[in-house]
Amino acid sequence: MAEWHRVAAEEELKPETPLGIRVGEVQIALVRLEDGIFAVNDVCTHEYALLSEGYCEDGKLECPLHQACFDIRTGKALTEPAEVDVATYPVKVEGGAVFVQV
Amino acid sequence: MRRVVIIGTGQAGRRTAEALRELDPAAEILLLGAEPHPPYDRPPLSKAVLLGSNPGNALFVRAPGFYAEKRIDLRTGTRVEAIDPAVRCVLTEAAEAIAYDSLVIATGAQARRLALPGAEDPRVMTLRTLEDAEALCARLADRPRIAVVGGGLIGLEVAASARQRGCPVTVLEAADRLMARCVPPVISAMAAELHRRHEVVLHLGCALRSILPRSFGLVLDAGAVQLEADLVVVGIGGVPNIALAEAAGIAVQDGILTDGQGRTSHADIYAAGEVARFPHPFFGRRVRLEAWQVAQNQPAAVARAICGQAGDYDEIPWHWTDQFDWNLQVLGDPDPSFELIQRPSEGARLTAIALDGEGRARGAVLINNGRDATPCRRLLAGGKQLDAVLLRDPAVPLRQFL
Repeated sequence: MAEWHRVAAEEELKPETPLGIRVGEVQIALVRLEDGIFAVNDVCTHEYALLSEGYCEDGKLECPLHQACFDIRTGKALTEPAEVDVATYPVKVEGGAVFVQV
Repeated sequence: MRRVVIIGTGQAGRRTAEALRELDPAAEILLLGAEPHPPYDRPPLSKAVLLGSNPGNALFVRAPGFYAEKRIDLRTGTRVEAIDPAVRCVLTEAAEAIAYDSLVIATGAQARRLALPGAEDPRVMTLRTLEDAEALCARLADRPRIAVVGGGLIGLEVAASARQRGCPVTVLEAADRLMARCVPPVISAMAAELHRRHEVVLHLGCALRSILPRSFGLVLDAGAVQLEADLVVVGIGGVPNIALAEAAGIAVQDGILTDGQGRTSHADIYAAGEVARFPHPFFGRRVRLEAWQVAQNQPAAVARAICGQAGDYDEIPWHWTDQFDWNLQVLGDPDPSFELIQRPSEGARLTAIALDGEGRARGAVLINNGRDATPCRRLLAGGKQLDAVLLRDPAVPLRQFL
């Protein structure tokens, strides 16, 4: 059963600057875009690497290892070498705190 | 309806077929290859496959039903023996003649062999195919003493993987530094430190003279250095598979000579991927590049040419290697003659940018710092003169120079 977890303070999230967080075993990249805060699985679907350590621009996260690109809003794998999308998670902000549903 | 025959089921062959299908829904596409498998990507062979963490189906990139779904007639285990440009057909090993309107040669390269006494011993291996990788992986289980000949990308990836499997590893490199063809000396020195830290024994400036097969192992004679190994892995570069093209009278020169869209000296015959030697605008000369990036994207330019569309292949060159806990990425041409600006950051990360005499970025080397790849690519493409003093300050973000 998915539950809401408090994972960060809203002020920690600067625009297009990914923040890597962890909920239990799940690694998540949180990113603030102009239309809100989004959460995707932080692990590239190609080889093990944290997307939160990659380059972020135009609503996309780029894997730091092999430059595979993912859409932060949908998790969609946009460029090879990744073929598989990353999971996305619902996000809500309450009282200055960011919650992710995992 | 045009019929396109592609020779070679490596990454470049697959990408040519895919790009063609995108551009021409009606084309008949035949993808012929000698290998028994559907197309697979080779980068994991020297890493994940050797480490025994078999990437399984991911190695093949496309699901088994993909080719039928895209109406790509994939024929594995089909070796092409000859090309007859006069009648526009290829002849297979099974003596089948297959006609084409357009032909794409994507035969790739093979591992260069050692031309030395003793090199034909079965304990002397190269790494190119999935079979090579699986055979080597199986032999690493007994933790043999490994001698790697060649301190380039493949040699060092094999060294790192074998070391991680618990094998004693020695690397012999003829040049006085590692990866001399792709990184400047200061990066070579860091790579040497990385490998020594993981107890890889390095012999630089050390040219192998002969291998003496003995029952107890192989004795390597490199003049001042003599050593024993159970297994030798040779990683001394690739040789393009140009025999088919050459026999058909197509112009070759360490690769098949093409224009920026893969057109060869013969009408309706193209070359794709690492077998092609083509004029690259970034280098301002013809190059033949053995890299994932070229196999991935140059075929799209070939597909455009076949469909009568313009658009040369002109990406900023980029390749990577993964060794131990290092991810090393190289962009452009970080020639040792350029000034190298180092931008270290926390956690032993490094971005090094090579500036030419006019202060323009010509190359970049990133150690565990892939987030700088996109800004670096733009710096290289932009060709702006950069302020070296400002660039040397890692606190100034790269975005500021774009």
